[in-house]
Amino acid sequence: MEHIRTPKVENVRLVDRISSKKAALGTLYLTATHVIFVETAPDARKETWILHSQIATIEKQATTATGCPLLIRCKNFQLLQLVIPQERDCHDVYISLIRLARPVKYEELYCFSFNPKLDREEREQGWMLIDLSEEYKRMGLPNNYWQLSDMNREYRVCDSYPTELYVPKSATAHIIVGSSKFRSRRRFPALSYYYKDNHASICRSSQPLSGFSARCLEDEQMLQAIRKANPGSDFIYVVDTRPKLNAMANRAAGKGYENEDNYSNIKFQFIGIENIHVMRSSLQKMLEVCELKSPSMSDFLWGLENSGWLRHIKAIMDAGVFIAKAVSEEGASVLVHCSDGWDRTAQVCSVASLLLDPHYRTLKGFMVLIEKDWISFGHKFTHRYGNLDGDPREISPVIDQFLECVWQLMEQFPCAFEFNERFLIHIQHHIYSCQFGNFLCNSQKERQELKIQERTYSLWAYLWKNRADYLNPLFRADHSQTWGILHLPTAPCNFMYKFWNGMYNRFEKGLQPRQSVTDYLMAVKEETQQLEEELEALEERLEKIQKVQLDRTELRSKQSEPSKHSGFSTADGSTANTPQDYSGNVKSFPSRSPSQGDEDSALILTQDNLKSSDPDLSANSDQESGVEDLSCRSPSGGECAPSEDSGKDRDSDEAVFLTA
Amino acid sequence: MFSLKPPRPTFRSYLLPPPQTDDKINSEPKIKKLEPVLLPGEIVVNEVNFVRKCIASDTSQYDLWGKLICSNFKISFITDDPMPLQKFHYRNLLLGEHDVPLTCIEQIVTLNDHKRKQKVLGPNQKLKFNPTELIIYCKDFRIVRFRFDESGPESAKKVCLAIAHYSQPTDLQLLFAFEYVGKKYHNSASKANGAPLGAGGGSSQKTPLFETYSDWDREVKRTSASGWRVCSINEGYMISTCLPEYFVVPSSLADQDLKVFSHSFVGRRMPFWCWSHSNGSALVRTALIRDVLQQRKIEQRVYNAITKSHPQRSDVYKSDLDKTLPNIQDIQVAFVKLKQLCVNEPFEETEEKWLSSLENTRWLEYVRAFLKHAVELVYVLESKRLSVVLQEEEGRDLSCIVASLVQVMLDPYFRTITGFQSLIQKEWVMAGYPFLDRCNHLKRSEKEAPVFLLFLDTTWQLLEQCPAAFEFSETYLAVLHDSTRVALFGTFLFNSPHQRVQQSTEFAISKNIQLGDEKGLKFPSVWDWSLQFTPKDRTLFHNPFYIGKSTPCVQNGSVKSFKRTKKSYSSTLRGMPASLKNGIISEQELRPRRNSLILQVKPAPLEPRDSQDWGVEQFFQEWASRPADLHGTILPRLSGAHIKLWKLCYFRWVPEAQIQHGGFITAFHKLSLLADEVDVLSRALRQPRGGPTPAPGPELAPSRLYFHAGGPYDASGTLDFLSSSFPFSPVGNLCRRSISGTPLSKFLSGAKIWLSTETLANED
Repeated sequence: MEHIRTPKVENVRLVDRISSKKAALGTLYLTATHVIFVETAPDARKETWILHSQIATIEKQATTATGCPLLIRCKNFQLLQLVIPQERDCHDVYISLIRLARPVKYEELYCFSFNPKLDREEREQGWMLIDLSEEYKRMGLPNNYWQLSDMNREYRVCDSYPTELYVPKSATAHIIVGSSKFRSRRRFPALSYYYKDNHASICRSSQPLSGFSARCLEDEQMLQAIRKANPGSDFIYVVDTRPKLNAMANRAAGKGYENEDNYSNIKFQFIGIENIHVMRSSLQKMLEVCELKSPSMSDFLWGLENSGWLRHIKAIMDAGVFIAKAVSEEGASVLVHCSDGWDRTAQVCSVASLLLDPHYRTLKGFMVLIEKDWISFGHKFTHRYGNLDGDPREISPVIDQFLECVWQLMEQFPCAFEFNERFLIHIQHHIYSCQFGNFLCNSQKERQELKIQERTYSLWAYLWKNRADYLNPLFRADHSQTWGILHLPTAPCNFMYKFWNGMYNRFEKGLQPRQSVTDYLMAVKEETQQLEEELEALEERLEKIQKVQLDRTELRSKQSEPSKHSGFSTADGSTANTPQDYSGNVKSFPSRSPSQGDEDSALILTQDNLKSSDPDLSANSDQESGVEDLSCRSPSGGECAPSEDSGKDRDSDEAVFLTA
Repeated sequence: MFSLKPPRPTFRSYLLPPPQTDDKINSEPKIKKLEPVLLPGEIVVNEVNFVRKCIASDTSQYDLWGKLICSNFKISFITDDPMPLQKFHYRNLLLGEHDVPLTCIEQIVTLNDHKRKQKVLGPNQKLKFNPTELIIYCKDFRIVRFRFDESGPESAKKVCLAIAHYSQPTDLQLLFAFEYVGKKYHNSASKANGAPLGAGGGSSQKTPLFETYSDWDREVKRTSASGWRVCSINEGYMISTCLPEYFVVPSSLADQDLKVFSHSFVGRRMPFWCWSHSNGSALVRTALIRDVLQQRKIEQRVYNAITKSHPQRSDVYKSDLDKTLPNIQDIQVAFVKLKQLCVNEPFEETEEKWLSSLENTRWLEYVRAFLKHAVELVYVLESKRLSVVLQEEEGRDLSCIVASLVQVMLDPYFRTITGFQSLIQKEWVMAGYPFLDRCNHLKRSEKEAPVFLLFLDTTWQLLEQCPAAFEFSETYLAVLHDSTRVALFGTFLFNSPHQRVQQSTEFAISKNIQLGDEKGLKFPSVWDWSLQFTPKDRTLFHNPFYIGKSTPCVQNGSVKSFKRTKKSYSSTLRGMPASLKNGIISEQELRPRRNSLILQVKPAPLEPRDSQDWGVEQFFQEWASRPADLHGTILPRLSGAHIKLWKLCYFRWVPEAQIQHGGFITAFHKLSLLADEVDVLSRALRQPRGGPTPAPGPELAPSRLYFHAGGPYDASGTLDFLSSSFPFSPVGNLCRRSISGTPLSKFLSGAKIWLSTETLANED
């Protein structure tokens, strides 16, 4: 609170970026956690809330006649252009925000004050939703080849690794410690994914400290052990995800890459993914394209190409495809590393796992994947996403790129993922928002020291609770493509990759498609459900009505009713001919297959009776009008009251009772 | 339904009308192998046996053996070998899987790899070597390759020369459609019943062709265009040979005046009406006035008349298309570059610079330019309530696109299949779009330009952005594009309706065909889709989003409610734009002022170009802020991120671009199932009150969808055939890279496997 110089500024204008002539007048509030802009327009009072942790940059521009413009760029790609009448106010806001957007202590972050009104038990349950030991069990571990190692208990070997790690059974403590000493930041090779179909695995580590000629017996044994853990193959791939030049440069610093001659039976492979600095500036360039007011086609395409962003995405995908193919088709295990093994390695391992294992394409599986390859293996969230005031050179959109890879895959395989685009976007938002504790700190160790689980809430529980919003209606669980490997084109070309409008332009309302396919589908699905419910309700009523009718016709046959009911006496005659007509009544109505032609004729008989009283329905019985009729009756809320609210239905009911 | 190996129909069965032949084909046993399937009037010109069709470039293991024939309609490869790897999932009834219509051939290259020679074959050329290989480059981006290693060298050569000769005819009447129709007439004449077949029965019955007075009259009434009348001064093409016989003009212009004015217009194409907005604003097309002295006077008379036809007497807005849009040469250049990018250049080299190469073609920029211009005119028509006159020198190219696009955006009728087809009849076929020249059926390349394809592409952009607003699917658009390359349909064969009458009368006389009181021969219409596809295949044309007009109303990601759209299309259109009620344009302003009828002639200093842009922007924003009305106006987003390359059309033959088990088609599939489920349920619901004869309902109304719940393709595992190219298959297209190759080989060996024709020395 002490950093807020001015809590409220009035007559601030929020400039619409698309049509600069439009601006909303309102009041700007600074709170301990948010910047809030409330429009003064009496009818709308629209509010814009920005979390301090989402603020990437604040730019004070030259004062004009109308006021002092302040440009706020957010990490979730929102862009806010405010015009504050008084220069002094603007300055106050500016200074306050600079400080508020860059907290120095974890305790200042929103997650420590965020309280979703859950009790302790619920919070703990939330944290237990994603359980990595369950995940390893799902992979089929431990088994004859892999075992859980307690070497890293209390983070004794590597402080950026988790305590629970799977290593080959033949890797002794001596080998692990020896190998860890030969690896950057002691990040020794450990299992990331085990493909139980053919025993091949994906392991990850950091670069070896090989320099120009150093070797390490234990490290060589470690790789040997990984190879032996896969009896199906006599070699392993070692994939260095860096460009060769970068890896070679590292040798001068005593780091570098594996020498194929020193390790037996490895195949070494470079896959040139650029480093975090290149990625940061690439994103910057792409965002500049997004910020262009009305770019021409060539501005857009040139800008996009020059940013190189999609090329980088492709490089990550290529690496993932390479590993997935090596594992699934060649049956060979792969060891992946980059420099420290926490950025590119995380991206590549998770993309490969996603391609290989349909479980990771489900809602929960995807959370597990992020928990495993990113959170537990020490991806430096705090540094990369600038949650605390720190070195700006450490900031880079590493996980953003991974999320985009997933999106690109979703575009290519629309039915393979259980979750939708919104899920990815919300995860991205919360990686930066610091509203939940999941993505805090740089390692598991730090999180434990900070007692994150006791003091904050888990995003996964929140997402899981709202999972209805994140489901992909196109998902086919039974689909062969889902329960297997995703086969990308043998060599995915650049033109397969698209600009992710929904992410980078997501706050540009004017640039969003009016209705996405997903929205339509949700609607269709809902409509289907409503129709089904309605059908069910009608069936029930029908059964009831027919029962009444039956009783009455029985009565009537005894009492010799007037001619008005002759229709029903013939009905009686027909029932005698086809006994299954009534058995059809007893069994449930074939809700999904009226086309099978076994619809009960008793049903049709009632239609006969309805016909005279409801001419307009029978007149236009073509498909379209039928659909219209139904849809207009479906209540929007989704609850399906037995359709008393519909005039026509009442008509038909009356008709039934009249004739009866 | 596709059995793995469709039985080959025999020659005789095709003499019967297609719907009946279907059953015949299936019931008749295979008589003789490797027999070409020929249409009436089709003759085999040349053939060669033991030909190998290449399937992959680096391996011959999938290659097919068979006979290559050249007829006067197509080149056909006949084989008994089953298609490897993947197959088409629709079958054209006129063309086999391996057939290429002669009019679809772009270039013929013959090679002899022993002598290292290659030659591009033109008509009437000699070939000094015996070809070992023949590569056909098709206009639809396919590349087909045949090897003659085992075939007789002389007959191989003859076939190549025959293909070169027959694919580049010198005269319109040499196109196959004439032979075909001639045969049909003779056959029907011999059957004593004079009515010729194939004039456009079946599904095309609903599509108004705008050949008659009544079609125009109905269109005028449909749009409630009071103040406009159908005029028949061009009956017998007495005034203009590139206008339809009937067209619509302002009621206040007398026939006599029109006749006088017509002389001043290029091609005597005087202003004629396209469409009217519900607010009374009309869309009019015109050619340029040649006579500069008369120009102002005539223009004023005509514009006065248009103003009088407007219920509010509002001004006329002139849009000079030649000045604001790329010309047809630009479009052709862009298309050639696009083709190079998609087909000819090896991908590996363009990959790194894909986006800038794409930009360099300018194709997308032109797509956007036309969409943007159409949006501006929609704004003028709907929001400013002015009538729009599209002016182009001849008024036969750019006007076609712009007029059609404006109508597609404004009138939901034109987003149905029938409506879209009637739009193409009205604004393209009857309005004199020179299909013959632009499609270049006669291989005189200087007039070639893919204007029609550009229109289909722009329509695709709208479909992509507003998927639920269209009754048709992108497959429909792609198939429609392909149909322009089949020289059988009168629809896309001529430069004008007059040319059809003239040429076919000439032909009829020479062939001794009795026309009776018909105006020229009746060619089959492309809208009779039963000629090309089975009813099952035609269901691929239907967009599952559109099924049922009860399109849910969704805004800002949340499903609001299910909107009732019982009213017909026009009802939404007739509504008054909200902005106008608020007095933005008052009645006063709408009154025509003396001597100032034309907005553009009268320079308006207060309304510079910029503010027009702003108005459009404002209009767009307002539209975007309203809940989507799919049966009202739709507008495209024009930012770079929203204009996309139409991959199904341009990349369907590229094996590298194929996504196995992926692509939009999987979504389409799932969607179809959902939509079908809704359909089935709603039918089930309707039955209890449907009337006395609902029992045969399900049988009588087969699903409109290709995939349906409980259908044969629903079972899991059978979806393996789905790929992003569906229903097309790039297999058999000349691949630059192996289909079976893995990226491992690419990564590890670094070797490129190319079929390189470039290294071969050019012949003489």
